[in-house]
Amino acid sequence: MATVYIGIDVGSISTKGVVLDDNFNVITYEYLRTKGRPIEAVLNLIKIFKERVGNNVKFGGVGTTGSGRRLAGVMIGADIVKNEIIAHAIAASHFYPNCQTVIEIGGQDSKIIILRNGIPVDFAMNTVCAAGTGSFLDHQAQRLGIPIEEFGKLALKAKTKVNIAGRCTVFAESDMIHKAQLGFPIESIIAGLCEAIVRNYLNVVAKGKDIKPLILFQGGVAANVGVREAFKKELKEEIIVPEYFLVMGAIGAAILAKEETNGRGSRFYGFGISNCEFNTKAIECNGCANRCEIIHTYRDNELIDIYGDRCGKWSGG
Amino acid sequence: MKAAFPYIGYHSIALKDFLTALGAKVCLPPPLTKRTLELGVKYSPEMVCLPFKITLGNFIEALEIGADTLFMATGARKCRFGYYSYLQEKILKELGYQFKFYSVSQYSPYEFVFEKMPQIFNVSPLKVLKALYLMIKKSELCENFKNSLRVIRAIDYQKSLIFEKEYLKKIEGVKKIKEINILNKELKELRKKWLKNNGIKLRVGLVGEIYFLLEDFANQELEKELSKFGVLVLSKRSLYSRLKHLLKMEPGFLKIYYYARKYLSVSPGGEALNTIGEAVNFIKKGVDGIIHIFPFTCMPENIALHSLEKISEDYNVPILSLSFDEHTSKTGLLTRIEAFLELLKRRKK
Repeated sequence: MATVYIGIDVGSISTKGVVLDDNFNVITYEYLRTKGRPIEAVLNLIKIFKERVGNNVKFGGVGTTGSGRRLAGVMIGADIVKNEIIAHAIAASHFYPNCQTVIEIGGQDSKIIILRNGIPVDFAMNTVCAAGTGSFLDHQAQRLGIPIEEFGKLALKAKTKVNIAGRCTVFAESDMIHKAQLGFPIESIIAGLCEAIVRNYLNVVAKGKDIKPLILFQGGVAANVGVREAFKKELKEEIIVPEYFLVMGAIGAAILAKEETNGRGSRFYGFGISNCEFNTKAIECNGCANRCEIIHTYRDNELIDIYGDRCGKWSGG
Repeated sequence: MKAAFPYIGYHSIALKDFLTALGAKVCLPPPLTKRTLELGVKYSPEMVCLPFKITLGNFIEALEIGADTLFMATGARKCRFGYYSYLQEKILKELGYQFKFYSVSQYSPYEFVFEKMPQIFNVSPLKVLKALYLMIKKSELCENFKNSLRVIRAIDYQKSLIFEKEYLKKIEGVKKIKEINILNKELKELRKKWLKNNGIKLRVGLVGEIYFLLEDFANQELEKELSKFGVLVLSKRSLYSRLKHLLKMEPGFLKIYYYARKYLSVSPGGEALNTIGEAVNFIKKGVDGIIHIFPFTCMPENIALHSLEKISEDYNVPILSLSFDEHTSKTGLLTRIEAFLELLKRRKK
């Protein structure tokens, strides 16, 4: 029986999962939209993997990452729940051991990870504002009626250059509208937007970081060739988009799960959980004026987790 | 007089004793909660920094339970803090509350001792000096308490909860200088003893804006979260260090400023120079990393941030900068500190 490792990355916009074999080769992967329902997305992933992998496997380890990592971890019985920064770094140095910079732009956040000799040594992440991330691109593509998959390709067709203000998405949008009213072709405006996103990223997120080659570009936005080109132009370096750029976080989580279990076998509840029903219930605690929202998670009406209090009265620590 | 002041973490105990020693009845507002923040946000100018909003909420909750005299420090140089007290007084008056408001300048100690306090409390300057001495001693005690708490938290979180409760009561109880000295010694020895324990996995220096360094509610209990990972937090700034500095009793700051001046030749205001100098000092003492916390849009700390980037490069030590605004979800904070600590751990290996 083959041993497999599962990694799941629950992000704000998309939920990603991979199944790896013992040598960290990707057996299968899937990318789904979270659509604001992380529980459903995770169960769908498990269902898909059950169909593709079958029941005749041994689970070596399961890891979760991404902003929904905690909930996903509780649901499926993960061996390790790790933040996405480390997960991305681990996956990057697995495929490209001499990688020194990881650019990762996802749905709601963007980050830069600096690696030296395969070890993450520095990182930065956008803070209060989500300017220049995937969801903004998504929104603009929708507004212009262009499928997001085509968005980047259009940018490459631009013959002239248009400057778009990239500091803030609100300003960027009004700038785009204004330029369109002036009569600039849509390709040029999209190309301008891609450049603005890259400028914003380099000025805000990657500010002061020592960007050295090899540079990897991961996360959903790496699918956008327009942004890829803009990075290449701005950094004057080769930008590598790894084969599994969409699911690098999930791959990292699976690798970390193997490190964690170290051959002990997994806590994973098995593919069968895709038939279980998961519910969450939020109640407001009236113990003090903090009025924390306490999240109860149920599996088939059985309480499996309590989370969200500041004082530890509910969660016991 | 029912006096109230905004909380500044554990050091509030020293402020309370100071006012009590001068004859005031201190009216402590309820502990800081989401409600405090909501009240503060509701009545503050939108773009003002977070400490203004929280302390305003603090005042409103104090007035609600009957405070009639409010005390607020003022007098920062080239920073919005200089306007806090005046604006807060105006806002609270417009809300219809009846109260007396005293802005206490940090930079005029003589006026404070010989004029302002004697007038307000109708006492002699000697009594003010005595109360001031008590406050300094008490703030030293609070600092020693916090420093010991930091160590035990990093070693044994559950045990630290018991320690915290037990010693907070003791600290609040002692009023005589002699007793304070004994307790100070006791706390220092406990810290020394605990430091020998090898349960400490990482050491992190905490620098930044003073309100965020002192008030756990403002920094979303960052120190507690760090210690859950077995991290020993080192931090220099407190009411005690501030008082010593204002009364020119702290020679150590010369070194801090010397380190800072290499990166910033003039003070941009606030305590940016302290932030920069302390970061260098911590690094020289061998911490694994630096965490820098400040309110979103804080001008001096944003300037310090750029010097910190240079320091991180020069000394090859990671620095994590975190700015805080009024959002209350801890998720983003936890992701960042978890990744940062992981990175420190992997570097150490």
